[in-house]
Amino acid sequence: MHPYDSRYPIQVLTGRGGGEHVASEALAGKDAPRLLALLKEMKDGLDVVKSKVEALTVKVKQDKLLTSEGISYLEAKHLLLLDYCQSIVYYLLRKAKGLSIEGHPVVRNLVEIRLFLEKIRPIDKKLEYQIQKLTNAAEGGPAPEKIVASNKELGKSQKEEDPLKFRPNPEMLVSKTAPEVEGGGVYRPPKFAPTVMDDDKISKKEKQALRRDKAMVRQAKQSSFVNELMANFEDRPEEVRETVGAESIELTRYLAKREAKERQEEELFTRAPVTRREKKLEKHMTKSRNGLLGLTDGFFDDVKMLPLEERETDGPIEHSTPKRGGKRNKKRKAQF
Amino acid sequence: MADSKAVTLRTRKFMTNRLLARRQFVIDVLHPGRANVSKVELKEKLAGLYEVKDPNCIFVFKFRTHFGGGKSTGFGLIYDSLDSAKKYEPKYRLIRNGLATKIEKSRKQMKERKNRSKKIRGVKKTKAGDAAKGGKKK
Repeated sequence: MHPYDSRYPIQVLTGRGGGEHVASEALAGKDAPRLLALLKEMKDGLDVVKSKVEALTVKVKQDKLLTSEGISYLEAKHLLLLDYCQSIVYYLLRKAKGLSIEGHPVVRNLVEIRLFLEKIRPIDKKLEYQIQKLTNAAEGGPAPEKIVASNKELGKSQKEEDPLKFRPNPEMLVSKTAPEVEGGGVYRPPKFAPTVMDDDKISKKEKQALRRDKAMVRQAKQSSFVNELMANFEDRPEEVRETVGAESIELTRYLAKREAKERQEEELFTRAPVTRREKKLEKHMTKSRNGLLGLTDGFFDDVKMLPLEERETDGPIEHSTPKRGGKRNKKRKAQF
Repeated sequence: MADSKAVTLRTRKFMTNRLLARRQFVIDVLHPGRANVSKVELKEKLAGLYEVKDPNCIFVFKFRTHFGGGKSTGFGLIYDSLDSAKKYEPKYRLIRNGLATKIEKSRKQMKERKNRSKKIRGVKKTKAGDAAKGGKKK
């Protein structure tokens, strides 16, 4: 018999409390069977409790159950419930004997205890999981199966986790500083806070200096004098090619590209297939142009690298472009 | 060697490839005044240069003449043994060296056979059916 049962006699009887002064015979006639039923129910409930408590006390006397260390909350709850039951019984006794209950401390006591029980209701709910776990652990095993069975009976889905599994799981913690092995070996920094990429603050002078260096390197590559020097320095075997004068710019570019390509091929130990375009270009290059055109190119190109005193002002950086269009090229059907 | 001018061999980027049991390198051939050096001649020279016991294990390929002639570059491999050569080399190079023979497949026959097998479904032997169907068609 739960104190929160809606059919609990106290609710009925408090209602009746004010009715003492009213003509009670008619009311008594109506309520008599109900009262009897309720009293019987109460007696049954108390009998059940008594039997259970007796069983427990027997066990305790036999030293089978330890009562020293238990959940203090549950102890308090038991005491409260006991007190409540006692007060209820005393109240009923007084009522049955016809004694007045107004101003009696029993009423106050009942109300107090009722308040307490209401207050600990939410705590009870929160502790339910823990208490269940502990009782299962104490019983040692068969309880979880019962719980699962009861869950199934209630029609819960089987995928639903056992509610007794909600305990702190340190394995689920994700470490902030743990390095991730994804990304195919590429290092990706962990994103903590927004960062700003600092702009490349290269001043105009620095940019110009860089450009000048680049232009110098390019000119050095093109000049034949420097090439000779480099060849001597690197101890390469002397290669004599049959050219008249300097090679045309077109040809030098073509050769440079080809050499770069060959270097790549050697690196990878493979060959790229030769397309029709490339074959045509090679044919065009070999046809009696090698060297003769170079005669028309300026002498300035060879000399501009040398630090001669007459040249005080640097001439404009010449960007020589290959001849585009023109009747001659179209005649030879060269496709660049 | 009935050539008027000398042929010079230079090897670059030499590497010992333990995984494939061979030595691989880039070959620079200088042959001024000559068109091209044949692969057989190159193999002989390499055998002498690297003191290879079995000249069958030497493979040279992908030779390209530089612009203007006189110099060509290609790749070379020397296997440790004939067995590893047969294991790792592609078929066409083995055939060039004479270590394997080419299977002559008539393209037309293959296509005809494929088209015939398109009509049959499942694991049925088309070979037995081939002759019959060929006879039928005639």
